Amino acid sequence: MTYKQLISRVLFLLAMAVFALPAMAQEEGDGGGAVNIDEGKTLFRNYCATCHNKNMKDDLTGPALGGVEERWADYPQEDLYKWIRQSQAMINEGHPRAVELWEDWKPTVMNNFLNLSDSEIDNILAYIEAVYTGADKKNVAGGEAAVAVVEEKPNNTPLFIALAVILAILAVVLARIVSNLNYMLQVREGNSDARRTSLVEILTSKGLIAFVIFALVVLGGYTTVNNAIMLGRQQGYAPEQPIKFSHQTHAGIQKIDCQYCHDGARRSKHSVIPAANTCMNCHRAIKVGSQYGTAELTKIYASIGYDPSSDTYLDNYEEMNQDDIEKVYKKWIADTYVKENGSIDSKGEELIEEQWEGIVSSLTNPHKKKIQGPIEWVRIHNLPDHVYFNHAQHVTVGQLECQTCHGPMEEWEVAKQHSPLSMGWCINCHRQTEVQFDDNEYYKSYTRYHEEIASGEREKVTVEDIGGLECQKCHY
Amino acid sequence: MKNKNNGVWIGVDQLQNDPSYLETNKNEFTELPVVDTLSKQGAMDTEASRRDFLKYLGFGLGAATLAASCEIPVKRAVPYVVKPDEIVPGVATYYASSFVQGGDYCPVLVKTREGRPIKIEGNTLSNITKGGTSARAQASVLSLYDTNRLDGPYRVKEGKIQRSADRNERGPSWEEIDGEIMGKLTAGSSIRIVANTIMSPTTKKAIEDFKAAYPNTEVVMYDPVSSSAILEANEASFGQAVIPAYHFDKADVIVSFDADFLGTWISPTEFANQYATNRRIKKVKGAKMSRHIQVESHMSLTGSNADNRIMVKPSEQGAAIVALYNAVAAKTGGARVSGPNLEGATAGKIQKVADELVSNRGKSLVVSGSNNKGEQILINAINNMLGNYGSTLDFNAASMQRQGMDKPVQDLVKAMSAGRVDALFVMDGANPAFDLPNASQFREAASKVGLKVSFSMVPNETVALCDYITPTHHYLESWGDVEPKRGHYSLIQPTIAPIFNTVGRPGSRQTEESLLRWAKYDMMSVMGGSSTDSVAVTAKSNPYYEKSKEDVGAFIFNYMKKHWQENLFPKQSGFATFKMFWDSVLHDGVFVAEDTAEASAFAGDVNAAARMVRKPSNAELEISLFETVNMGGGVYSNNPWLLEMPDPVNRCTWGNYLAIPVGWDGGNEFTSFMGLNPDESKGKADIVDVTVNGTAQRCTVVRQFGQMQGTLAIALGYGRTETGMLGRAIGNNVGVDVFPWTSYDENGNVQYYATVDSVSEKVAEEDRFACVQYHHSMGLTGEDPETGEEINVDEKTVMTIGEGFQGGLVNRSIIYQGSLSELEDLSHHIEEKRTEAQKLNSHTLYPYDEYKEQVYDQGHHWSMHIDLNACIGCGACQVACIAENNVPVVGKTEVARHHEMTWLRIDRYFYGDYENPNVVYQPMMCQHCDNAPCENVCPVAATNHSSEGLNQMTYNRCIGTRYCANNCPYKVRRFNWLDYTTADLFGANEYDLNGEEAIPFGADNLTRMVLNPDVTVRSRGVIEKCSFCVQRIQEGKLTAKREQRKLRDQDVKTACQTACPTGAIVFGDDNDKEGILAERLENPLNYLVLEEINTQSAVRYQARVNNKNEELDA
Repeated sequence: MTYKQLISRVLFLLAMAVFALPAMAQEEGDGGGAVNIDEGKTLFRNYCATCHNKNMKDDLTGPALGGVEERWADYPQEDLYKWIRQSQAMINEGHPRAVELWEDWKPTVMNNFLNLSDSEIDNILAYIEAVYTGADKKNVAGGEAAVAVVEEKPNNTPLFIALAVILAILAVVLARIVSNLNYMLQVREGNSDARRTSLVEILTSKGLIAFVIFALVVLGGYTTVNNAIMLGRQQGYAPEQPIKFSHQTHAGIQKIDCQYCHDGARRSKHSVIPAANTCMNCHRAIKVGSQYGTAELTKIYASIGYDPSSDTYLDNYEEMNQDDIEKVYKKWIADTYVKENGSIDSKGEELIEEQWEGIVSSLTNPHKKKIQGPIEWVRIHNLPDHVYFNHAQHVTVGQLECQTCHGPMEEWEVAKQHSPLSMGWCINCHRQTEVQFDDNEYYKSYTRYHEEIASGEREKVTVEDIGGLECQKCHY
Repeated sequence: MKNKNNGVWIGVDQLQNDPSYLETNKNEFTELPVVDTLSKQGAMDTEASRRDFLKYLGFGLGAATLAASCEIPVKRAVPYVVKPDEIVPGVATYYASSFVQGGDYCPVLVKTREGRPIKIEGNTLSNITKGGTSARAQASVLSLYDTNRLDGPYRVKEGKIQRSADRNERGPSWEEIDGEIMGKLTAGSSIRIVANTIMSPTTKKAIEDFKAAYPNTEVVMYDPVSSSAILEANEASFGQAVIPAYHFDKADVIVSFDADFLGTWISPTEFANQYATNRRIKKVKGAKMSRHIQVESHMSLTGSNADNRIMVKPSEQGAAIVALYNAVAAKTGGARVSGPNLEGATAGKIQKVADELVSNRGKSLVVSGSNNKGEQILINAINNMLGNYGSTLDFNAASMQRQGMDKPVQDLVKAMSAGRVDALFVMDGANPAFDLPNASQFREAASKVGLKVSFSMVPNETVALCDYITPTHHYLESWGDVEPKRGHYSLIQPTIAPIFNTVGRPGSRQTEESLLRWAKYDMMSVMGGSSTDSVAVTAKSNPYYEKSKEDVGAFIFNYMKKHWQENLFPKQSGFATFKMFWDSVLHDGVFVAEDTAEASAFAGDVNAAARMVRKPSNAELEISLFETVNMGGGVYSNNPWLLEMPDPVNRCTWGNYLAIPVGWDGGNEFTSFMGLNPDESKGKADIVDVTVNGTAQRCTVVRQFGQMQGTLAIALGYGRTETGMLGRAIGNNVGVDVFPWTSYDENGNVQYYATVDSVSEKVAEEDRFACVQYHHSMGLTGEDPETGEEINVDEKTVMTIGEGFQGGLVNRSIIYQGSLSELEDLSHHIEEKRTEAQKLNSHTLYPYDEYKEQVYDQGHHWSMHIDLNACIGCGACQVACIAENNVPVVGKTEVARHHEMTWLRIDRYFYGDYENPNVVYQPMMCQHCDNAPCENVCPVAATNHSSEGLNQMTYNRCIGTRYCANNCPYKVRRFNWLDYTTADLFGANEYDLNGEEAIPFGADNLTRMVLNPDVTVRSRGVIEKCSFCVQRIQEGKLTAKREQRKLRDQDVKTACQTACPTGAIVFGDDNDKEGILAERLENPLNYLVLEEINTQSAVRYQARVNNKNEELDA
């Protein structure tokens, strides 16, 4: 019968849809095999990138590293290792290649890296080679693609849609079967007026319309309420910032402690966006960025009034006009360009202009006409005014890791909001989190809990137990 | 007419059981004023049709959709460029400084957040105020953000400050104005500097240096409410024109002739602290307290706290003082003086006062607020005869808080009219065109002066007469010093960069600097060689340091420092180097020099003095003119916090009201002067025309218990006409100006009383009678007009339904008071009542003890103790609460509609004699009941209880049903009827500041800088109330947690507690069995308000005790 065929076809489709999902999810597993180069990249960024250009072709504070192994090919590999670990010692020893380099680059001294093992140096060299020859591009791209697949959560929406369609077809089919059976019953009973209900009649029947309206109301209500709750929430918000600051570079690769810059977190309600002078602690020494060169760092200098060319703070910077400022920083960008590329070409001029425009557009806005003054970052984590949140309570007292709420910020190039920052999210954590009850003298006043713990009646005290769900913990 | 009332009362209507009074008080939210006002404005005239409803619905839906689909606005996070080391965003920084306004002085700590001052706290290191503050000091932070402040120097022509209507346009620069002013000065110019009391040694030095360039300069110091007679009297008696140091704490008997020493006289914060130490009751057996007798006609704040009040007419003050002198002299073997005679029963009372004083020789204190030289000499003589000098008052650390003399300012006016003055400089605060008795003459004479310059921060009546206004900094932006008492110094340091100097404007400049610049003083002489100045060294490497240093007045800073190094550093021996000394003083804010005592013998001519005292007048009606706690002489009249703070005694806001006496017929009927104001409780007050000295004023009347028959009283300092820019001057025309009613006596001193020429019949009715006395009254009983039974006024409805079910609660416990002699009775009475209440409460269905055991007895359980005996009702706590908790100012109309928002109110109750009653002040705020009636009725659980015993209010949950407020027996919940804070406004809809439109107070960004960022700004439609300063609790707990230690007693103090000058309020953790709160909680005089209704409130009150001399009452 045709019905039978239809049903079996439907079942088949259903089965296909069910099996499709694991098949899609299967495609993870082996990523790129160039483990050495990856490690080399990290090491290079950690140790070398501050002085050596990462394109491996241009000189920076130190020489371009591309083809370094060829240049050292006349000597044993150990000499290169030693050079990297302790260059000054080799110069003193009078190693010919070392002396040759010293003559070229003095008085710049290369740092010692006694902690690097042979294999680590090999990795770095492999990475340098890969970048120099362009071999890393494909590899890295492949690797990133692989990672992207892993990170993506299996998306079930198509499956649900398929299921819904199948069920709808099933419903229609069943309705047809019923109407057919009814028709046959009536024919058997001798009702000559009997006729089959058409598909249109089924679809426009009162019952179905009522059902559809009901379903729409429920769905609509559900969506409205959900969206209303979500109003103002911005999980995943990752706006473009005036400076392309990379948490990955600073917190991930350089392993700078979060609280070095966000020094309010341990003692204040605000974690505090660091002032420009905090940046200057390091960037008075590191003047050219590993990723963007002078493009981003010069914005900090222009904000605070620091002239990187002469290593001084500009006198009376607040009163300087934009043209004078332009001269100072264009000169710096140009000088750096010359250092890297030998001379200013048209590309260089374009770059200088581009970077200067970047500075102007990042540091000014309709309300702030001057370049001087604070960098106006885009605020990512916004709590409503009626919510009181205190970082010190969570970081110092609760000893939470920053990542608990902010996610693996050290892995991200662009900062974003990791958690929903919804009340439900807060409350849930307060329900589950155990208070560090024994270590902190403060909690001694909770005498009964201490007794209960001592007698074994109670296992732990959660934030909820000491009033962490009460309104005026956060709303006042 | 002996009329004892054992209970307490709040006003006439309640005593008379006015049926309409009962009617208005049975509801929490009185309805009639709301509808009245709205319908007047036509807002309620139109009736909405169904079509309108649909229109609004459609619009609302559309708007909501539009708003919802809008993207979330991008918010900016702006960090510092160079973060100052001492600032951590989100953490408050405190700086020691001093509040100074004329002779008002209060050493303070300024709380700043992210560089902006938001709250004033008392400086506990001061041995003058000992950490107390006043309402004025608390409110001073708001005047820093006054939108009326001038952003630079301006020329003034024909009474108008010459500034462009375009706010973006810069006014003239300082160089321009300096040049013009200096061009009009010659070395021989006769210059007069008019000021209120100057307490700053540095300012005085600057004036000396100014004189070096302009030798014909004279300083004319006067005070708007003058004490010049005391200075003259002390000059005559002891050869020192100063005010002695008073020690109210050492006096067992205090007699005050019209001196409001707890409210306004000389140094009220200091005196209040001293006064209260000797009036605390710690135990019932052997309790001691001082006796305070006040002689006055109008009930002052001090008088309301007195044990006995003797009422004499203002003109009889002199006679009373002479009578006391003669009585004391008779007992101590002195000679009588002849002066005006006191007649009638009062003479007998004065005799008894003399008995009291003589039996407490050396431990008594007589003070007078009189500004009559003869009277003050007699007061000195009385204290001398009683041997009080050296014990309760002395000249060791004589007060410098009043230095103004009345005579020189009259001479000035004469010299000005005669054209003998070339230039007139008026210091900030001084406003002679308003607050002199002959202000009109001053105004006329001013036209004959070639150059007139005002240093005022804000426009005032005197500025309008000037040619230039060269505004000085607010004290929170200034460097300065104060010598409030001889040898006592304190520093003023800037806590914010001068606001108007940072927005591309010429900005303000300190008076001292302006003077010295005009004197061409060699400014580099103090700037050079400042090697000790670490700031200068840092400046080299960073341009921003230099800048900020300059902003906060590097010159004045160095000038003052030099003065301190040369003159004050040698006066101490504790520090070896000046730097150490300076750093220490800057940190502490106060410094007491090692000074030698100065004493001299009394050498006054009492007979001559007795001839000088004022003569009793035979006039039918006299009026006394007084200064109020909040408004002073008028200098605070642009401060909305103070304008809206109810006067403690008459409980009126936004204006001065003519106090009229209340009479009693011996039965249940009360009469008032000319039958005025029969409907006060309905928000209706009468307006009359009063003529004094030929000047008529239209005054709103308020009935005042304790006002002597045949006398009237009205406050000074109101009726200012120029307090700021058009549209922004909140203080303009608030109340009436009665300075013209003051006059000079024959010695040239201003007299603050007068005879009344006439009082008209009622000429109009005040439609916005902003008296809060009848608002939010609680637990008062009255006679039901229908049944004749005694009922609870505010629960009439409930009782009608419940058929007297609540009848047992008629005798409610709100105030307990008694006299010292019957202290044990009082203690038994309280105990009995409490036992009874607890018995009633034990029948509850709610197992409170179980909760207590399971929840409240561990961790914290917050609690408060208020000693009604220490509370003097000064209102400092009320303003402190407003500042701390972002409580909105609502304005006069709204107050009249019962919409005042204060979280803490000070209830005033009378007891005792109807015509001369005693007063109890009761600070009333949310009682944080563990068994709270408000919590059960909230349909959305927006108010609920915390495990620490706090009654929590969650604004974002509140839907505004107001059930909680209706159910609160203490009437402490406030509803935001309107968007008072403008918190609901979208940024784009903000009122335009450029136009001169009137903007709602607090809608501009400048005023909003005063907001406490830790407290939510409430918007329309939610209930709010006292939170026990939960933000401070949380902060204290967090500090303890971070330091890994237990929370100590007094780690958490509420704003009201820190503001209190007498230490009446103590906050703490009930579960902490040690500490101040635990000690206070053991007092047998403690009680809970309305304990019988089983609210289990967390605020304990200690009963009011008076030390009445019953004989004086007879």
